[in-house]
Amino acid sequence: MSKAGTIIYRTISRKISAKRLLSLAAIVAAVQMALCVGASAQIKMNIVGPGSQLSSIAVSGLKSLSGDDNHDVSGNFVAILDRDLELSGYFRLISPHAYIEDPQQSGYELGQFNFADWHSINADFLVKGAVTVSGQNVQLTALLYDVAQQRRMMGKNFNGSMADVPRMARRFADALLLATTGQQGPFDTMLAFVSTGGGRFKEIYTQTIDGQNLYRLTDNPTINLFPSLDKNVNSLLYLSYKSGQPELYLADLKRKLETRIETRRGVIIGGALSPDGQRIVAAVENGGATNLYLLDKDGNELRELTHTSGINVSPAFSWDGSMIAFTSDRSGTPQIYVMPLSGGTARRVTYKGDYNTTPAFSPKGDRIAYQSRSGGRFEIFVIPVGGGEPAQVTDGIGSNESPSWSPDGRYLAFSSTRGGNSRIYLVMVQSGKIISALTEGKGNDTSPAWSWWLGD
Amino acid sequence: MTLLQRGRGGWVTRGARLARIGAMVVLVGALAAGCSSKSKPVQGPTASQMGENGIGGNTSSLKDLQNGTLGANSGGPLSDIHFGYNTYNIEPQDGAVLKANASWLQAHPQTRVQVEGHCDERGSEDYNLALGAKRAQSAKDYLVTLGVPESRISTISYGKELPLCTEHDEDCWAQNRRDHFVVQQ
Repeated sequence: MSKAGTIIYRTISRKISAKRLLSLAAIVAAVQMALCVGASAQIKMNIVGPGSQLSSIAVSGLKSLSGDDNHDVSGNFVAILDRDLELSGYFRLISPHAYIEDPQQSGYELGQFNFADWHSINADFLVKGAVTVSGQNVQLTALLYDVAQQRRMMGKNFNGSMADVPRMARRFADALLLATTGQQGPFDTMLAFVSTGGGRFKEIYTQTIDGQNLYRLTDNPTINLFPSLDKNVNSLLYLSYKSGQPELYLADLKRKLETRIETRRGVIIGGALSPDGQRIVAAVENGGATNLYLLDKDGNELRELTHTSGINVSPAFSWDGSMIAFTSDRSGTPQIYVMPLSGGTARRVTYKGDYNTTPAFSPKGDRIAYQSRSGGRFEIFVIPVGGGEPAQVTDGIGSNESPSWSPDGRYLAFSSTRGGNSRIYLVMVQSGKIISALTEGKGNDTSPAWSWWLGD
Repeated sequence: MTLLQRGRGGWVTRGARLARIGAMVVLVGALAAGCSSKSKPVQGPTASQMGENGIGGNTSSLKDLQNGTLGANSGGPLSDIHFGYNTYNIEPQDGAVLKANASWLQAHPQTRVQVEGHCDERGSEDYNLALGAKRAQSAKDYLVTLGVPESRISTISYGKELPLCTEHDEDCWAQNRRDHFVVQQ
């Protein structure tokens, strides 16, 4: 896994009311306890954000209150948190070699350690915490401090098993981004993608954004494409040639069962799963024409969505389930269209470029990311759903395809051949900064699908 | 409902077939997966139709991929035709190729043919699947006008998934924009 690239931002200071901070913190409902800031009416803090300089952060080890004598839990938590903070594009991690104090000797609560030890190594932010391990049970507390203000910004208590520690780190990273940027981070999520994994066959994989828990969903020596997830991450829809011809399969990730989706309309060559997991938009080919149909999850047809003699593919749901975006050649070239699922006509969104495809709705539903062909390669663009000027996100290196939004709307995962083999990369939408590859790239990794937050 | 134990967790396709799970199973607990005992018939080409050589020796491109022979298969009685970039109309020079293919099919009335539509790499996967379907349909329509019964011709698109040639240049792209004809018993 490659390390994050260096990104330069400018630090800005902003005044934020404690009341607003509290309300923002309340959004993170996933964790048992939120310890919030003191009650001063106006507090000054460092806000990090796009266009600002990287903030420096020190992630100290967790103090073992009991049972983590070898600091395995601490090491696991810190490694995942470090990786997520790197991937966020907001932080510069201060090397532990620079740390002055020993976390096992000092305390982790306010007043139990010396802020000067952290100020002197230029830390803007500090993470400290403690852990109690008893058998397989882990109780973990992590706290975020503003070093300059000598103030506790946020704290979380977690209780779970050893296997839950990486998720504790991801949830803390998400809460840390909420506290420092005003918006929850996107790390307690899942990435589905297609990979040849060093072999000849495209298979569906899932992993976390930070590269853990690599899991191979399909194992058939054919072709598997287009993973699509529902909002609860219960189901994954994909296209497979495992029967000898292309068909859609809806996999129940928890029960480990899958259903083949069939329609009398023709051969299904693509599809997308609705956010509620109950409906599917299938691209169905018949007599050379490919049209979109709304099906229920058992394959019963609910509505014919397009009716042309040409090509209608690449369906993508908005996260509220009310709209789809898709690609159609009805104008003579592949272009992006949107359409309400309740019925109504398709509206063309893209007019620049002669090959625009693979649309994806932003979480708020106000923008569409897509790939546009330029000189034999593709670039990722973002355009307002209502139409307007497309903004190029990628940088002209390699071919950049299949954008998928993070649930917080700040990032896109996309596939790129910039390093040779196709891999999944992370880019910040607003700045266009390519942060890091997310996949190992043993083979060709394509078609990323970034899930919603996993929740409880 | 029958419970099947499938080692490290197994996916059971309801009414269809099994797909094995890879080794990196981390999902909690579930080692058993339920499966309906009723099976729906699998539609479309069966594994034997896809997998075995036709009498002429043409094999499906997916089988060629599985055998590691994709791009090496030049035998068989039916010849490929080729397309321009992002088009699916039959090129004039391919009319003679299709006539020869149609003559062979008419001389072997017990056979069926599957037309595979393929694309070059310069397009998205999903759009190319639809474009490949258009290309396969174009050849099917042409063969039908030459008198081959429609019932003997099936189509399948592989989009850009099964390139004969993997260089990133026009020579290679031109080879990959093709219809391939697989003779089936």
